[in-house]
Amino acid sequence: MKKKTVGKTRHVVAWMNKAEYEHVQEYLFSKEPALQKHALQRISAWKARFGQSTPVAVDSTADLVRCQVLDSAGQLETNDLVMLYGMALVRFVNLITERQQKSVARPLRRLAGKINIPEWVVNLRHDLTHRRLPSLKWCRKGCGFVLDWLHQQYWSRQMGSQLTEDWNSSSEEEDEEEFAKRHEEELLRRQKEIEAHKKVRELLISYEREQFQTYEELAKQGGQRGVWPDASADLSWILTQITLFTTEARDILVDVLMQDGFLIPTAEQLESLDIDPSEDSVDMFAPCLPRVFLHFWLPCLKALNTPIFINLILDKLFAELSNEPSRHRTYYITSWISEILLCNSKSTNLRHLPGLCGELKAHKRLKLSKERIFMNRIQFPWQNLISTCVNAPCPATPFLLRQILSDMDKPLPHDAQQNLLRLCSIYTQGYHEYSSPGASDPAQPVYTLQNLQDRLKSNTSQNRDSHSSNHAPRPMQAPPTEDLQEKLSAETTQERNFALRGSAWSVCTDKVPWKQYPLGKVPGQPEDPSCLMVECYSTFTVFDQQVELDQLPQHHGNRSVPLQSRASGADGPLWTHSDLSKLKAGLQLF
Amino acid sequence: MTMKVHKVSSQSQHEQRHATKRHGKNKWRKKTHSLDSTLLNTSTGTAKLEKPIPKREKTTLKRLKKLYTKPIPENCCAEQRKVKAHVHTNGGTELNGSSSLVDSQEWSEYANSVLRNGMESSTSPKTDQMEEDGLQFHAQFDKTRNNAVLVMKQGQVLCFRGKCLLTCLYGHVEVLGFTIEEGQQPYPLFSPPSHCPLTITALGNNPPSSKNKKEGLLEAKAVVHKYFSSEPSKKLMSELDSDSCVVLLEPLNTPLTRVLTSFSELSEIFGLNSKELKSQAAVYNPVLSAVGVTALRGPCAQGLVMSRSYREAISRLLSAWAGEFDRCPIILVCGGKSSGKSTFNRHLINSLLNHTAGVEYLECDLGQTEFTPPGCLSLSTVTEPLLGPPFTHLRDPEHMVYYGQADCQADIDRYLESLKSLWRHVNGESPVIINTMGWIRGHGFQILVDLIRLFSVTHVVQLSYGNAPQCQHLTPDFLRTAHGWQTHPLTPPTLTEEPVSHLSTRSHVLLSVQSEFEGAGTSGVMQHQRSNELRDLALLSYFSKLQSPEPGPVLPLHCFTPYQVPLSAVAIGVTHCEVAPTNILYVANASVVGLCCLSEKVVGREGPVVLSQTPICQCVGLGVLRGVDMARGLYFLVSPVSPSVLRHVNCLLLGEITLPKILLTKQDGIEGDLPYVTTDYSFEVQGAGKLHIYKGLTRPGFIKSNN
Repeated sequence: MKKKTVGKTRHVVAWMNKAEYEHVQEYLFSKEPALQKHALQRISAWKARFGQSTPVAVDSTADLVRCQVLDSAGQLETNDLVMLYGMALVRFVNLITERQQKSVARPLRRLAGKINIPEWVVNLRHDLTHRRLPSLKWCRKGCGFVLDWLHQQYWSRQMGSQLTEDWNSSSEEEDEEEFAKRHEEELLRRQKEIEAHKKVRELLISYEREQFQTYEELAKQGGQRGVWPDASADLSWILTQITLFTTEARDILVDVLMQDGFLIPTAEQLESLDIDPSEDSVDMFAPCLPRVFLHFWLPCLKALNTPIFINLILDKLFAELSNEPSRHRTYYITSWISEILLCNSKSTNLRHLPGLCGELKAHKRLKLSKERIFMNRIQFPWQNLISTCVNAPCPATPFLLRQILSDMDKPLPHDAQQNLLRLCSIYTQGYHEYSSPGASDPAQPVYTLQNLQDRLKSNTSQNRDSHSSNHAPRPMQAPPTEDLQEKLSAETTQERNFALRGSAWSVCTDKVPWKQYPLGKVPGQPEDPSCLMVECYSTFTVFDQQVELDQLPQHHGNRSVPLQSRASGADGPLWTHSDLSKLKAGLQLF
Repeated sequence: MTMKVHKVSSQSQHEQRHATKRHGKNKWRKKTHSLDSTLLNTSTGTAKLEKPIPKREKTTLKRLKKLYTKPIPENCCAEQRKVKAHVHTNGGTELNGSSSLVDSQEWSEYANSVLRNGMESSTSPKTDQMEEDGLQFHAQFDKTRNNAVLVMKQGQVLCFRGKCLLTCLYGHVEVLGFTIEEGQQPYPLFSPPSHCPLTITALGNNPPSSKNKKEGLLEAKAVVHKYFSSEPSKKLMSELDSDSCVVLLEPLNTPLTRVLTSFSELSEIFGLNSKELKSQAAVYNPVLSAVGVTALRGPCAQGLVMSRSYREAISRLLSAWAGEFDRCPIILVCGGKSSGKSTFNRHLINSLLNHTAGVEYLECDLGQTEFTPPGCLSLSTVTEPLLGPPFTHLRDPEHMVYYGQADCQADIDRYLESLKSLWRHVNGESPVIINTMGWIRGHGFQILVDLIRLFSVTHVVQLSYGNAPQCQHLTPDFLRTAHGWQTHPLTPPTLTEEPVSHLSTRSHVLLSVQSEFEGAGTSGVMQHQRSNELRDLALLSYFSKLQSPEPGPVLPLHCFTPYQVPLSAVAIGVTHCEVAPTNILYVANASVVGLCCLSEKVVGREGPVVLSQTPICQCVGLGVLRGVDMARGLYFLVSPVSPSVLRHVNCLLLGEITLPKILLTKQDGIEGDLPYVTTDYSFEVQGAGKLHIYKGLTRPGFIKSNN
């Protein structure tokens, strides 16, 4: 059977599975009255399930097949049969062309022609409704033709069977309502997003305004190096507003932050913060945020500080980096990445990489606790981080990579680190300052980024165990399905069963993992499309309960006739056929 | 304007007197008397009303107080005692037994003026300044308690989307006709985009006579302080005065809201609708949004649009309950689709609940049921106000019959018989509201005639919209000659007195209401407004009762431990079509079943017990037949019905009410194919769609569609 693709819409149908559909199709067109009858009975159940949304083709087919079955039984007279056939044919022509109608009624003949129904069938309908009744012969002929048509056009095309492409019919849209609904949902979602976007922008701009003001006051008091004051009342008000977005519209918030003029300052903004906006003054290979600018954003980022958020912003920063932004953007993006990584760094680890030590220490010393966006180490998805880092190559990649490597919980083997860094330097072609003390493995030369990633994968796979055992699962992930099964305590079950005692009902106490059984399936249920057929049933009659308001009888007056049991023996010999279809169903699974 | 009201209502009194001929004289005498005393007692109030006062809210309140503080009159008749016995917890607005004194004019005045509040503040043209003022919601969020305190000026209106739990801390507020005041329980409010938005209207403080302004202010401040874990902001306190209302808003998180929002399709079910988004109607207020409320502004913030006739009808009905009428009012509400029946009902019920402990509600609308899943006819006693659309307040009715379809055209007789069987349980001590279908043409109209006759309706509220009436007015005169589906007019009265008086006692009062809200008569097209979507929401809401009340993950339907019952122990039947008995389980599997109780014992020998026709019997709820164990002969059923009730169930009825598709297509944690779900069904194929009915098919000229 076809595997469900994510993109396809799931429809609810009356048949349990494709096997049942094909089973009925086969019986309907078997020309064997007993089998046809069997199929008709199943369709009666389908119609009950479908209710008002029974497909027109299914309805029509059943009506026409019923005529054939009654005809072959030989118990009805010719005139009776003409009436039966007539009704089925009229309904077919009318219903099948109804979909083709637009707001102004058009001739049936033209509509029918469009869907390959010949004129004589339409004329037959006209005869039946407006003129002399046609002969039984004509009715039989019409019925035969229409059933063939239905077989070809509906039954064998439906359910993913050979759908021919040349069929240029107008689509029978599932439901205009459905479509409109989906369209509207989409519209609504977009509107909502735009709205949120706007709000976030407004908030962040008011935050910036507030911070600029603080900065100016600070500058006035002399020395930009002075200590930034604690958040004012207005500022903390803005911050609480911003934090409200972290749960619902986190993505939007991060998107906005990434835009120019927020985490990536404009030249104007830099000037007003007394930072030299020229690009010559910065070291593209070892990006570092201007302190003032960091302080500018620190209150906001501190307010937003959650592991999810930091992870998200890191992802986003790398994603932006891979889009090969302008030098200016690249610098600030890498600076922010470096900043975040620094906040997360563990000092002890630096020992392992003596070459790095001196350089980073200078950074580290400045990292007063006040300047840190967050204090507690956050669990990063290290492997991902490495690959995203090398996937977004820029002059600062080796620099960032070194930070990542030094911070990993389970560091890569020393030589792997060296190789990676070297490769990276080769690729980004700029930062040769650092040469590895140990030679890389000559047996496995790495020349391309692909090689690098392969290497990376093989390296990281060694560490997988340790990482999977690490804590910090992303809270946004869907809860594991294990939790879904309803766990009734023994007391509850007992309580319920006590309440049900004396009746035919009870709580199912079988040890069944119900979460594995979708609605309509029970343990041990065969795939056989005939599995729900009942051979034995009783009929129960409740007498009419006309309630006379004035008399108000206390009892509903139900009286039942004795139960009549009967075994429906007619289905006996059919079992071989259902076995056949079972086989067929089984075959399709592969 | 005031004068007009008087005139109209006195005219209608006239009609009424004619209608109740037998008591006419008596009533008239009583009325003159009470009118006099009213005039005496309320002279100051009336005088004030006559003055042209620009701010009507003040007057309203004065008059309201007047009503409450009125001394109990000397004559105490049976009706008054009845009222007293049923006084609701609504202390401030109860009638204090002064009902007979309150003549209908006064009553309609009262109702009108209260109702006018909402009207004026929303529809009358306002300057921008006023608009801005009105939209300043002074609220503060308490992080530790996770709730918000909102201070509203007297007369201020908050029209909103979303959901919350509202407790009135000080003063009193009105929501959809129901008055909530300090000391009352918290009430859940739901304002999803599918329906007209709810409004919270601050009515100010009551009764003020006992305290002066300063005392009131101090009290209000004390109340606000009590509800904050830390110091409330100065801004909030400065907004307080003795006429303010203080309400506590808490986020609302129930199994229902959890279930609904767990579906991505319904994630915006408590958000704004597309129209409101497009017109940017949301007022950005972080405190309110923290508790799940989005205030609206502009034309979208109209809330309930009440026409003049609407308000008059409500006030007439309130006064009918207050004892003007000599028997318990039986109110039938009818009107075409989307004419506002449901909202009118809710408003009426809420208004009545201000004065009585309970209202009986007979549901005759199968498609848009108020308290039950669709397809059910039911009789409920309503004791709690309805502050949201139907799917937010599903509750078990006293009596219910499962009809099984969303309309009654297939079997009108069974429909009427079912209703008659429900009617036997009406106790007749509280007002009865009969809600009807939107089907008002042809047989639908005949059914209305039947219902009015069968249930001796005292008041018919007929809602219409537009210029042309949707159907004939159901006047008492018309009823005298109209043919119903089951009932027929009495044979022409003979000259003897008897039948005439018989007729007149059965006569009713017709209240015509013109719906003037935007979109009256056109069914909703926006998300969650379509009738099938609302039915699905009702079913989702019904089955959300399976979820544990404690917050936790939402369990899909298939994960619940089912009940089991032998096939031979319960009868099974299909209500809406003929099904071959051998194939009955193909219908039952994974379907919604009505859980019914036959008085007859059901014992089958082997296999299912198939009903030969649909019985009319008590239904205790719905369930999902999650599977059939053919080997052991067991049905597996998942249902929120309590086991002590389930034990009586011996009949499962299958209908056209199907599980919301989403419950079948989204069954988390299942590997492999889902039964009855496919991605391979193609609507490109001829005949794949359902029967399509073109309602507005125009014929070119006078040719029949062919040749």
